[in-house]
Amino acid sequence: MGGMLIMSAMTASGQTIAEELMADPNRAAGNFYALPIGKMPKDTPAPEGKKPFYINHYGCPGSYYREMQSIYEEPYAVFAKADSLGKLTKLGKDVKLRLDLLRRDATGRIGELTTKGAEQCRELILQMVKRFPDILTPDGYYSCRSIVQNNCLMTLEESLVQLSSMMQPMRTSVMASHYEDRFMDPQDKVLEALRWDSLTQARYDRFLALNTGNARLMESLFTDQNFLIEQEDPEVLSRQLFVLAGSIQHTDLANHVTLFDLFTPAEILGHWKKLNAKYYIQNGACTLNGGTQPFMQRATLRNMIHMGDSVLKREHPMVHLRYVNENVVMALACLMELDNCGLQTDNLDALADMGWKTYRIAPLGGSIMMVHYRSEQGDPDVLVKVLLNGEEARLPIETDCAPYYHWEDVKRYYLRKLYRYENIRLNEETKK
Amino acid sequence: MERIKKTIYTLFGKVIVISRSLFFLFTFSPSYAQTVRDLIIQKPVYASCNYNTYPDSIPNNLTPSPKGKKPFYLSHYGRHGSRYISSRSGYDIPFKMIAHADSVNELTPTGDRVFDEMKLIMSDTERRWGELTSYGKIQHRRIARRLVERFPEIFCDNANVSCISTIVPRCIESMGVAMAEMKQVNPKLRITMVASQRNQWYMNHQDRKLRKNYMTPEAQKAYNAYISSRLGNSRLMELIFKNPDIVKEIVDEENFNYYLMKMGLFQQNTHFYMNTYLQDLFETDELYHMWQIDNALWYIQHGACKLNGGKQPTSQRFLLRQLIADADSCIKLDKPGAQLRFGHETVLLPLVCLMGINGFDLATDSLDELEEKGWWCSSVFPMGANLQFVFYRSSPRDKDVLMKVLLNEQEATLPIATDCAPYYHWADVRSYCLSKLE
Repeated sequence: MGGMLIMSAMTASGQTIAEELMADPNRAAGNFYALPIGKMPKDTPAPEGKKPFYINHYGCPGSYYREMQSIYEEPYAVFAKADSLGKLTKLGKDVKLRLDLLRRDATGRIGELTTKGAEQCRELILQMVKRFPDILTPDGYYSCRSIVQNNCLMTLEESLVQLSSMMQPMRTSVMASHYEDRFMDPQDKVLEALRWDSLTQARYDRFLALNTGNARLMESLFTDQNFLIEQEDPEVLSRQLFVLAGSIQHTDLANHVTLFDLFTPAEILGHWKKLNAKYYIQNGACTLNGGTQPFMQRATLRNMIHMGDSVLKREHPMVHLRYVNENVVMALACLMELDNCGLQTDNLDALADMGWKTYRIAPLGGSIMMVHYRSEQGDPDVLVKVLLNGEEARLPIETDCAPYYHWEDVKRYYLRKLYRYENIRLNEETKK
Repeated sequence: MERIKKTIYTLFGKVIVISRSLFFLFTFSPSYAQTVRDLIIQKPVYASCNYNTYPDSIPNNLTPSPKGKKPFYLSHYGRHGSRYISSRSGYDIPFKMIAHADSVNELTPTGDRVFDEMKLIMSDTERRWGELTSYGKIQHRRIARRLVERFPEIFCDNANVSCISTIVPRCIESMGVAMAEMKQVNPKLRITMVASQRNQWYMNHQDRKLRKNYMTPEAQKAYNAYISSRLGNSRLMELIFKNPDIVKEIVDEENFNYYLMKMGLFQQNTHFYMNTYLQDLFETDELYHMWQIDNALWYIQHGACKLNGGKQPTSQRFLLRQLIADADSCIKLDKPGAQLRFGHETVLLPLVCLMGINGFDLATDSLDELEEKGWWCSSVFPMGANLQFVFYRSSPRDKDVLMKVLLNEQEATLPIATDCAPYYHWADVRSYCLSKLE
């Protein structure tokens, strides 16, 4: 039994979660991890004669500043007050200076794409075209879409400009409209109401309590623990510092400032587990709240299938780049059950062991790309492969040519899944 | 200063000789003898002032570079391209009125058709309020392409093109399509793009104090007197409503006329542009009167209007100072490239007035003078409008940097002396602009 546990705690790369976080603490930022660029993933050659002709891409925004000024200001305020009363340790004083740098850097840039984010966007497009050179032809059509949110919009513009520099002439179309929110940023009040029902909240709170211990950290920063507790809940402050630690990687301060050194590896793992569990509850098929949260993106998946069918008769290649919120990509990956994303469990403690890790699902710069292959126009056997953050992903569907799947099988599987859920919803609504 | 210069250019295959004089301030329209009314006949959307669309083609009539000098730096402020109307309220005003009239069976057959057209427009605009339209993207692509083609020395291989947009999505989109198009013309440009709250203080400065105080009692009095004879449209009421007298209780004639006209003209910016049904309801004089009303209001809001102290253009003091500072530092570089800024008409118009471009620093207390003196806002800030400052020198060591101003890609004048029009000595322009900021 013990042996099995250790085995299951190993990841595909053979590393445990603790080792993965040690290797790159930035991963602990979860979905706020910046998808690394540089190393281009390898492609399994396509079955003979098949060439890519359509890429349907849903991407997260590139690296950006956190979405609220308070994320930068609140922890600083606690340190500033403590400092004014002489309650900071030497390390605490140093942390205060670092927090000051961070908040100044972020002021006036809240939620905005960073320069690193801009580079990342361009690099990712470059990689896409390098991997699928057949997709770029003068007769092709390149459509770039984004939700109406500035970091996604800027991700779109950077990607568009990169794409445009790679071929002339090129036909591009651009759109960022609330008109497309219905599948780019879907809302569902019924699912939202289920998300944090009281049982789920209670289980999550217990999970938090089990993974919380901030005494060491606070003693290293503050000389007077009673003072600190009057100011702020140590767990809140600890989480704020941890969130900021994970945010630095996106800015020009990366490699100059860190906050991860404040935490022990066990504390980093603890914080990561708590955040990971939270995102699992919100976007994954967590059985605590009914396992239906991924269906939030059913319109997105339906659009993917619809597009896959509409391009069948197309003569020339086409690319759809769509930039949406990370949670859309995350829930979509769960809905599509890519790799381990479809995980259904109520065991929040075992998520990492079972391979459900936000930084592998929807990091900043991350994406789901469905690449469609055929031998020629009208080929009845279109194949698709799905890339999750650039890596070939496993679908919950049988195939004789993995990582390629027959489009008809893919379509059938997902449409059935969607119909099944929509039927349940319909029945519920008629019962009312 | 009266400088007459003859320019010959070919337009629509005809050779037109134009007397360019500072008395005729317009470089925007193809011929200077045109009146506002003529322009409205040619292009009815001209009457809607800031909803005017950018010209589809621009005459290629730029003066050659000054002898021995080459363009080396371009600084720009442009308005986003054609957009959907910003908010529902503009359309809701006439829509609610006509819907009410319909509910009490007061619409004529024409009124029914008008109501149907309005419903179509409403549903087309739903979920797209304020967003850039396809036409807006086309405008920016064309402008960007011309920029690179007209100034190949600046937009050369490896040239830096640094763009700043306000944080408003339609501006970001305008910037993106423009830069993608530039890459189509020269893929080797080095483009950076920023849309940050950090630059809002000069990119989109709306001066609350000035704005709050523009309608002084004096201005209000003059404005009311000016518009009183131009409001209303009983002909339209007869056309749309069975009993105009009865519907007066639910349809305010002046507002209905004004907002319906705007709604019709606005469609020139959207993909409804082929459908001119609403626009065609109006006669030239009705459009013309609306232009007069709006033009006067824009003047009071953003011009050097004596009725409110003439300080409104100073709302763009931060932008002008930034433009000077940027130019100062760029001139020090060997190859500065271009700085492009994407923003709004409520910035561009007062900036043009502040700098006195094409005589837009006109200061008067008579609203009647605006038209005859060429203060026509529709020519300054159509969708996609832009100001380009192009800098020339012989080498980085050249101390006598020259510059010229292009308003909507046509050479424009500044109210300062020069011995090389349309070029000006940067030192003169700089000290003139600084004097305006004191």
